[in-house]
Amino acid sequence: MTGLIDSLIFLPVAGAAASYLTGRKNKKYRDYLVSGIAILEFVLAVMLLLQYLIGGQRENMTEMSEICGMGLSFTVDGFRAVYVCIAAFMWMGTSLFSIEYFRHYRNRNRYYLFQLITLGATEAIFLSADLYTTFVFFEVMSLASYVWVAQDERRESLRAAATYLAVAVIGGLVMLFGLFLLYYQAGTLRIDELYGACQGKNVYAAALCMLFGFGAKAGVFPLHIWLPKAHPVAPAPASALLSGILTKTGIFGVLVICCKIFLHDGVWGTFILMLGVLTMTLGALLALFSIDFKRTLACSSVSQIGFILVGIGMQGLLGEENALAVRGSFLHMVNHSLFKLVLFMAAGVIYMNLHKLDLNEIRGFGRKKPMLAFIYLMGALGIGGMPLFSGYISKTLLHESIVEYAEVLTENPGAAIFFTAGGMKAVEWAFLISGGLTVAYMTKLFAAVFVEKNADAALQEKYDGQKRYMSPLSAGALLGASLLFPVMGMLSGGTMNKLADLGQGFMGLAGAGERVSYFSFGNLKGGLTSIVIGGLLYFTVGRGWMLKETKEKEGSVYVDRWPKFLDLEEYLYRPLLLVALPAVCGGICRILDGMIDTSAKFLIKAGGVAAGLLDTLVDAVVVILRKTIYRDYSKMGELKEGNGVTYVLGSAANILCRIMNRSFWRKHPKDTDYRHKLAMEYWRIRETGYLITRSLSYGLILFSIGLCATLIYLLIGAVR
Amino acid sequence: MVIRMMNTSILLLTAIFFPILLGAAVLLAPEFSSRKSLLCVTGAGLFLTGILACFTVGSVQSGVRLFSLGDKLEIYFCPDDLGRIFAVIVTIVWILAGLYSFEYMKHEKEEKRYFGFYLMTFGVLLALSFAGNIVTFYLFYELMTLFSVPLVLHTKTKEAVMGGLKYLFYSLCGAYMVLMGLFFLNKYAATFQFTAGGSLNAALAAGNEKSLLVIVFFMILGFGVKAGMFPMHAWLPTAHPVAPAPASAALSGLIVKAGVLGVIRTIYFIFGASFIRGTWVQTVWISLALITIFMGSMLAYREKIMKKRLAYSTVSQVSYILFGLALLEPSAMTGAMLHMVFHGFIKAALFLSAGAVIYKTGKTNVDELTGIGKEMPVTIWCYTFASLALIGIPPASGFISKWYLAEGALSSGTGIFTWLGPAVLLLSALLTAGYLLPVTVKGFLPGADFDYENLQKKEPNLRMLIPLLILAALSLLLGIFPNPLTEFIGGIVNTVL
Repeated sequence: MTGLIDSLIFLPVAGAAASYLTGRKNKKYRDYLVSGIAILEFVLAVMLLLQYLIGGQRENMTEMSEICGMGLSFTVDGFRAVYVCIAAFMWMGTSLFSIEYFRHYRNRNRYYLFQLITLGATEAIFLSADLYTTFVFFEVMSLASYVWVAQDERRESLRAAATYLAVAVIGGLVMLFGLFLLYYQAGTLRIDELYGACQGKNVYAAALCMLFGFGAKAGVFPLHIWLPKAHPVAPAPASALLSGILTKTGIFGVLVICCKIFLHDGVWGTFILMLGVLTMTLGALLALFSIDFKRTLACSSVSQIGFILVGIGMQGLLGEENALAVRGSFLHMVNHSLFKLVLFMAAGVIYMNLHKLDLNEIRGFGRKKPMLAFIYLMGALGIGGMPLFSGYISKTLLHESIVEYAEVLTENPGAAIFFTAGGMKAVEWAFLISGGLTVAYMTKLFAAVFVEKNADAALQEKYDGQKRYMSPLSAGALLGASLLFPVMGMLSGGTMNKLADLGQGFMGLAGAGERVSYFSFGNLKGGLTSIVIGGLLYFTVGRGWMLKETKEKEGSVYVDRWPKFLDLEEYLYRPLLLVALPAVCGGICRILDGMIDTSAKFLIKAGGVAAGLLDTLVDAVVVILRKTIYRDYSKMGELKEGNGVTYVLGSAANILCRIMNRSFWRKHPKDTDYRHKLAMEYWRIRETGYLITRSLSYGLILFSIGLCATLIYLLIGAVR
Repeated sequence: MVIRMMNTSILLLTAIFFPILLGAAVLLAPEFSSRKSLLCVTGAGLFLTGILACFTVGSVQSGVRLFSLGDKLEIYFCPDDLGRIFAVIVTIVWILAGLYSFEYMKHEKEEKRYFGFYLMTFGVLLALSFAGNIVTFYLFYELMTLFSVPLVLHTKTKEAVMGGLKYLFYSLCGAYMVLMGLFFLNKYAATFQFTAGGSLNAALAAGNEKSLLVIVFFMILGFGVKAGMFPMHAWLPTAHPVAPAPASAALSGLIVKAGVLGVIRTIYFIFGASFIRGTWVQTVWISLALITIFMGSMLAYREKIMKKRLAYSTVSQVSYILFGLALLEPSAMTGAMLHMVFHGFIKAALFLSAGAVIYKTGKTNVDELTGIGKEMPVTIWCYTFASLALIGIPPASGFISKWYLAEGALSSGTGIFTWLGPAVLLLSALLTAGYLLPVTVKGFLPGADFDYENLQKKEPNLRMLIPLLILAALSLLLGIFPNPLTEFIGGIVNTVL
């Protein structure tokens, strides 16, 4: 079994490389190779399932302890084996269909490369035995699948793909945070050890983070935004895989949280149930109001994921007695994967021929195309929950689980956690109405494409004349898949019950449990109520409100009645995450970033200003002083030579001299300016003084140098 | 046999001084007769030094005392496990970036100066790895700054010179803070030699803890300048974009890490982790590291010039390492050192691929890179793998280090930081995805209206591609097979914590 697990994971990865290299040389061989790998993968998956059925519960753990630090580990149980098969089956179906669908596409090599890598990663997720492994491959899957959403590189595709990538990356990181917390608290990430390890610990924070990540992939409200955007623009085979199987990897994670960590936890179950009801109802409403073929299907996926979540929530609420909910949610997972495979490929057939998906434009395309109509009808009846089709079985189980819990609460009102018996009645009605909405939007699509005529008569004629609209290979792939639904629905004992027996162990349910008689009156009543509601809704909303008579053309057109401002992505997430937060945080960071540089610059500037200020301050003082106390007057205090003493002495000597000249030296008056003479004398003395000081300083310097040299010499001597 | 015969101390000293002397000789030599002979000399020098470094890492166990000034100030080399791991990163990145610059520098002038300083810095970095005490470390730390300035201002445009000067001033400022610490260590440390677990003299330190904590803090800040820690990070986004791409790769991959090595040596080999555990220094350090992580990523996200974006990314990523070191917890420290290794390779790969784009197309702005993946597929694939590793997408390498960092943070018992730390790490990872992936996405998915008719293949030649491929492969493979490295690092961590 070990070898089988390894090859299931690594065959597609090796095949991806091989197909890429082949594709560079020859496109035709590449197509064969890719289909061959997908078929081989399915064969391996079936072998795994058979081995599990025969070999049963023996040790089936595979570990690669050297990889990625913590080591990867894989295991097989009924649930995993079934889902590995379904994934491989879907890849096989879409690969066969892709050959025709992508005939005129550019960059096909890239598509196949990433498609096969995604296959390997998806199989690894379903086989993973610990959440670390799950996470590793979850990220690989998210990134690889991004490429095929953006495959045709139109503006809308790139935008939708960016949304998908953002949701995947954000979801992945939040999930990683949850894993950090969980590993820290529980000490293990091994899925089968989690229940024991988390007992008595408050792991709600960890679980919420993980739920965010897995829920984002599954398309749980309010993280469903990527589905309605990505699906209409992705190539049809990619949409089928995204919707049918990639969302289920998210559900796989949600199941791990709900059935391995919070097994039979009523509070957690209530929370999941509420999310489920919201997702289920809103998705269905969105689908009903959509006028784009693939967008309707995408919103339908959101809604069906909601149904599954309701089942998972009921598992928690019902506790030990949750056989109905367990089997219902598992079967609905399987059913939804297969429905969406068929429905999206049918959409692909339309797109491949018309390159349009708007209901008004493709209207009437399916008239006189019984094969396509049949294929679509199988899928539609299945997903609508028509009795005798497989969807009916799973929906009945889910419905019965709600009814059962309502009865439990009626008998014992004290057991209520949040929902009382009345509350459960409301949940039941939400469930039935969502079922009705499913019927209504599937009818809307069927009527628009296969029954009504296009408003443009010429176009209708062209549509009617088109006989070859898909290759036999594609037709075979589609027909084969679509026939599963009535077969599974009618032979429910042999198929659906067996599947449920296989899957239930993963969700903590042992034993066969009682067999539900799906076609008893009580069970039929629920299904039929939904269908009646659906019919009413179709005629009131689907036709009454959305179909509008126009003046320009004959007949009527479908009008988009969904208010634009309800687009969470456009009006909440994108502005918040791309504009508001980066602007605020970026601004703060910009300030922090420039802090040192700015403060350095500021200091220099401020220093300059302060110095200038001080400078002018002194100037001002001087000016003020000169204007007041020291007002300028002639040569006061300014000596041309000498200093005060010589001036005074010289002046005195001059006066004396003048007196002497007038008295005793009258005959020989002396003409000496003593002021000048004394000043000269003073200057001479000062010069001499300078000379002496300088000579002394010089001597002292020399002395010091000598002293230092001596000291250093002594020091060196001392050190030595 | 050869190694055994050769005196190990001579081997160690040759590994360090051979490139320094050769670099000096290249600088002093008159003009080379041709470009080829310059490349031959440089290539042979790099290659020989690489071999010598490998032998040193593998065989030298004992220390070498080169000379000494007084009792304590000695120039002493002693390879330990931390030094070995650093020397290995240095050798790999330096040789690969060197090979790359043989082609890249063709369109720059004065290659002689570039390669001369390039060789000298190689030797200095090896000396830094093998330094056995803080004095030696400080000496070569300063030399590294001085020798690497010419690499930064190589183009001698105004911006380059200003960038180089800014780098010099910031580095000197940091070095002085460290130097101040050295004066105190002289008094309070039992020895300058790196001792696992710390060498503080408990008797002398008793009673002076408060002032010593201030000193530790200054030393962290001082080394933090090189490591680009807020608030002294601003030189990085200025110096990186102006330097030639291989020099940026070396700066970002290694020289920045020298600051990290300094912090590790100071905290874990001199003061000892227990000295700052639970003190205000640890709190402030963690806070600064977290601020830097967020700020760097945010600014990178809003930056349009590719190399500047990568520089801001370095600011952010190196603080992951500092954050891990600041937690003083074994698992976080393992994560930090793993990230040191991984980031060295990843950032070198990113800068080299950005350089290849500039070399071939002259495009520096991120918005101009539409369709670049169609023109240079191999280069952009390498870029993509390195990006995924940096974001931390498993199984690439960054994921492993972040896992250890987050687990370490959760069990570190540091109050609010136990959960705030991992939250900031993931927020920054989101921003990292936001600033790295658009290049890949626009490069490979240019839009349906892309002009395929005029598409030209612009793949650079093998001299540029081989280093890129090796680095990208390392950043991926080390994530898939991290266990030998993790065990080796675990051994280092066990000795100091």
